[in-house]
Amino acid sequence: MRRFLWPSVALALVIAYPLLFSTPFQQRLGALVLLYAIAASAWNIVGGYAGQVSVGHVVFFGCGAYAAMGAYAHFALSPLVGIPAGIVVSVAIAAAIGVPTLRLSGHYFSMATIAVAELVRLIVTNIDYLGGGVGLSGPTVPRNVFDLSFISALPYYYLFLTVLVATLGITWWMANSRIGFYLRAIKDSERAARSLGAPASRVKLYAFMLSAGLTSVAGALYATMFGFVDPESGLGILISVKILIMAALGGAGLLFGPLVGAAILVPLEEISNNLLGGKGAGLTFVAYGAIIVLIARFQPGGILTLINRLWARRRKTPETTVAAGATHAP
Amino acid sequence: MRFKNILGLLCAASISVLLAGNASAQQTVKIGGLFPLSGNAASTGVHTKAALEVAMDIINNAHPELGNFPLAKNAGLAGLGGAKVEVVFADNQGSPATGQNQALRLITEEKVAAITGAYQSGITLTASAIAEKYGIPFVNGESVAANLTERGFKWFFRTTPVASDFAKIYFDFLKDMKAAGAKTDSVAMVHDNTEYGTSVATVITSVFKENGQNAPLDIAYAANATDVQSQVLQLKEKKPDVVIMITYTSDAILFAKTMQALDYKPAMLLADDAGYSDPSFIKAVGKLSVGAFNRSSWSVGPPGSPTALIAEMYKKKSGDEMDDTAARQMQGFFVLCDAIDRAGSTDPAKIQAALKATDLKPDQLMMGYKGVKFDEKGQNILAAGVIIQLQDGENYVAVWPKASAQKEPVLPYKGW
Amino acid sequence: MSTILVQVIVGGLLLGAIYALFSSGLTLVWGMMNIVNFAHGDFVMLGMYVAFVVYTLLGAGPLLGAPLAVLVLATLGVVVYFALIREIMKGPMLAQILGTFGLALLLRYSVFWWFGANFLTLPENIVGGTFDIWGLRIQASRLLAGGVALLVTLGLHLLLTRTSLGSKMLAVAEDSTAAQLMGIRPDTMQAIAWAIAAGATGLAGALIATFFYIVPTVGETLGIVAFVTVSLGGFGSVPGALVAGLLIGVIESLSAYLIGAVYKDIVVYSLFLGFLWFRPQGLMGKM
Repeated sequence: MRRFLWPSVALALVIAYPLLFSTPFQQRLGALVLLYAIAASAWNIVGGYAGQVSVGHVVFFGCGAYAAMGAYAHFALSPLVGIPAGIVVSVAIAAAIGVPTLRLSGHYFSMATIAVAELVRLIVTNIDYLGGGVGLSGPTVPRNVFDLSFISALPYYYLFLTVLVATLGITWWMANSRIGFYLRAIKDSERAARSLGAPASRVKLYAFMLSAGLTSVAGALYATMFGFVDPESGLGILISVKILIMAALGGAGLLFGPLVGAAILVPLEEISNNLLGGKGAGLTFVAYGAIIVLIARFQPGGILTLINRLWARRRKTPETTVAAGATHAP
Repeated sequence: MRFKNILGLLCAASISVLLAGNASAQQTVKIGGLFPLSGNAASTGVHTKAALEVAMDIINNAHPELGNFPLAKNAGLAGLGGAKVEVVFADNQGSPATGQNQALRLITEEKVAAITGAYQSGITLTASAIAEKYGIPFVNGESVAANLTERGFKWFFRTTPVASDFAKIYFDFLKDMKAAGAKTDSVAMVHDNTEYGTSVATVITSVFKENGQNAPLDIAYAANATDVQSQVLQLKEKKPDVVIMITYTSDAILFAKTMQALDYKPAMLLADDAGYSDPSFIKAVGKLSVGAFNRSSWSVGPPGSPTALIAEMYKKKSGDEMDDTAARQMQGFFVLCDAIDRAGSTDPAKIQAALKATDLKPDQLMMGYKGVKFDEKGQNILAAGVIIQLQDGENYVAVWPKASAQKEPVLPYKGW
Repeated sequence: MSTILVQVIVGGLLLGAIYALFSSGLTLVWGMMNIVNFAHGDFVMLGMYVAFVVYTLLGAGPLLGAPLAVLVLATLGVVVYFALIREIMKGPMLAQILGTFGLALLLRYSVFWWFGANFLTLPENIVGGTFDIWGLRIQASRLLAGGVALLVTLGLHLLLTRTSLGSKMLAVAEDSTAAQLMGIRPDTMQAIAWAIAAGATGLAGALIATFFYIVPTVGETLGIVAFVTVSLGGFGSVPGALVAGLLIGVIESLSAYLIGAVYKDIVVYSLFLGFLWFRPQGLMGKM
């Protein structure tokens, strides 16, 4: 029972957060953390568990965002209707990228994802139906609750929390399934896994497609919260990099790594912007960049691995230490 | 013993109430300033920040040398008992998401009475949506996308002329130039495919077609180009009479350099503000772009005039000459402060009413607008502009319409 | 062939040579050390600013600016190697992306803080004007950069294949444990490789500054071009980067002229993806 004490406390805090920190900005900050955590956790499936670093994940994010806004802008439907369409397109793109490139070594796959993301962004910029350079806007005045256009961040917070729990649940289920078993083997040594009969390419492809679909949901939710998407904010490479570093900073390949990463980076970015941004000297990003460099330098496995290791050290048993991801004896 | 304590407490309480009462007479009016202070558009944001700091100085301190310029004579806002105005600057980082987050922070944490900004139309769109939800006035001085005033918003006001106004100005200007003997039959537009470039190009095309002229040749390119040789070669081949440049600073500099490298001089070059107005552009390639026309609502004016004095103050603060974009934003800010002054309060609804009732005359403005009066969509219907020309490669002078011209327009385009 | 079409192709070749120039450093570290350097574009930017400072303080052009840029960037390269790269090299690709991305932000906005957001330029004819050869217009500054690109490619190639230093560096890249057993210190070789790459990148920046604009965010634009050039050429192949650069430059210019400038990047990326599909190791890389 004691094992569940701290996780339960953590869960309770997460659920109670917007009630404890109830100013609009704090609630919105919480909703943003959850939103990015969804995207980063989705990325984690292919980037962390399958070890395939996708730097172009924003293309799936953009699919969801554009599908949601498009459903409203062109068909006057609720943005929610766009979500299934976004998922379908994302999964199709993932399959198109994955089939030829997942059999290659990591760097080629990463470059392919960058190229596809940029290509889609450039194409969308030239398609007027998708808003071109101007972008698509969502409902400014909500017609009903399904328009997902709320003044307060509270409904967004709980909506995103539900989706995050679902995403983490799917990730956990996958990690404990046959696919997860194969992925761990592949991560260890792909050649050995293949020689033992693991269908490496297929398994990596499934992980990629699953990740793509979930990322597009995150994109759709993002669009409903901000009510706007354009090629830069929905398909720009910076978003890919952001969710990637959140997962990496928190701990890629760990279930809660992306959440930890988002919980650190999103408030860090907002608060450093609040404090330093107005001065106009770019200090926000100097601080932000320096912190990322320090973490990469001293804890390349991510913050969560550090926390796990310290936690295991308290227990002081070899088994728990190894289980917590330590690479050497405490 | 107890009685003394109570008496002491009462005294302390009444003193603090008195102080608080006095403090509210010397209160500060906080206004949110949301601009790109980092990222690709940082140059504009930083210049705008300097402009607003000059504006704050003019409002908060007595500046009798500016004559009857609104809010300059007294120190502080007379309508609020001399309250000082303070701009809380926030960086939108060039991202609509960050812009919206910062707008929320300005409204709910900094408790600003109103917001001004945000330069890029996409960011103005999302940030003003938050202001609308919270019932906070949002005054925009320089975003030109048409859809900003098409949302049925009640709290959004825009002082700047928009793309359709400029298109009409260009059309009328070219008509006049034709009457004066220049060839203006074939027009080419060079524009990037951002929301700025696309929306302006679309509007210019439709205005030209509506008025019976041929649609301009459309040369689009992706912003932040590494090379623009092909676009210039296309122009060299097609030889249009007039080239309209709709570009941001980075590409504008590249175009000017490439045109010189390829020895291409259009007969007439007309720029749509943005890049060609940036002081960086003039410093870098002004001498290669002699004779370029530009649209502007800002003109320095004769020495000693309020505009010239403001230009001087701005130069001292920022180190650069005042440009049209910064000036338009500064004007938007003055309009907002004037409304707050008339409202006599920081209550958002009162400010909104005062904004709706705005009726400023040309001599009360630093810009060359015909006045400031908002229609029911929040657009200033008296916004206007003039055509300026970079005649010496260093400074722009007003050349059209005749009533506002300082000098005659010089043709053909000289280049370098 | 019309003069204009020739001009387009010549311009494309010069442009491509410049792409190769600032990509050679990236392919060196990518191939030798398997490092994905997200801060590469910002190294180019730093080279540009060194050239600007040299001009502003000393009034000198690239004759002085370029060597100084090489020195400054090589020194910075060594510092960055020992402070950051050496650690994150040991980690997965993710850690490298994380670390170099943070470095990119740090460099970019430190420059922003110091120099401001204004667009800066060197005087127009600092290297000389524009040659007019049979109706073709060729800028002296671009010609210089293009020529240096060829020299740098040749020089790096010879360094790696003909000198003992080069073979030591390649040995470490192939198998650092075995190299250690042969008496080669991997750390030193990698630091040298990194410094050479940084120096080459600084040189590129200083030369590009003679005809391009200088702004802290220019690294973003140039960085992704370098990535595509390097992948297309083959990770680690300096001659490959040259050929890929030239190819990209010409295709970009031709498609911009024939189809339209908004489509040129689409053509390049499509071509690039096609290569990844059929020949992922690029033009001259090894699998």
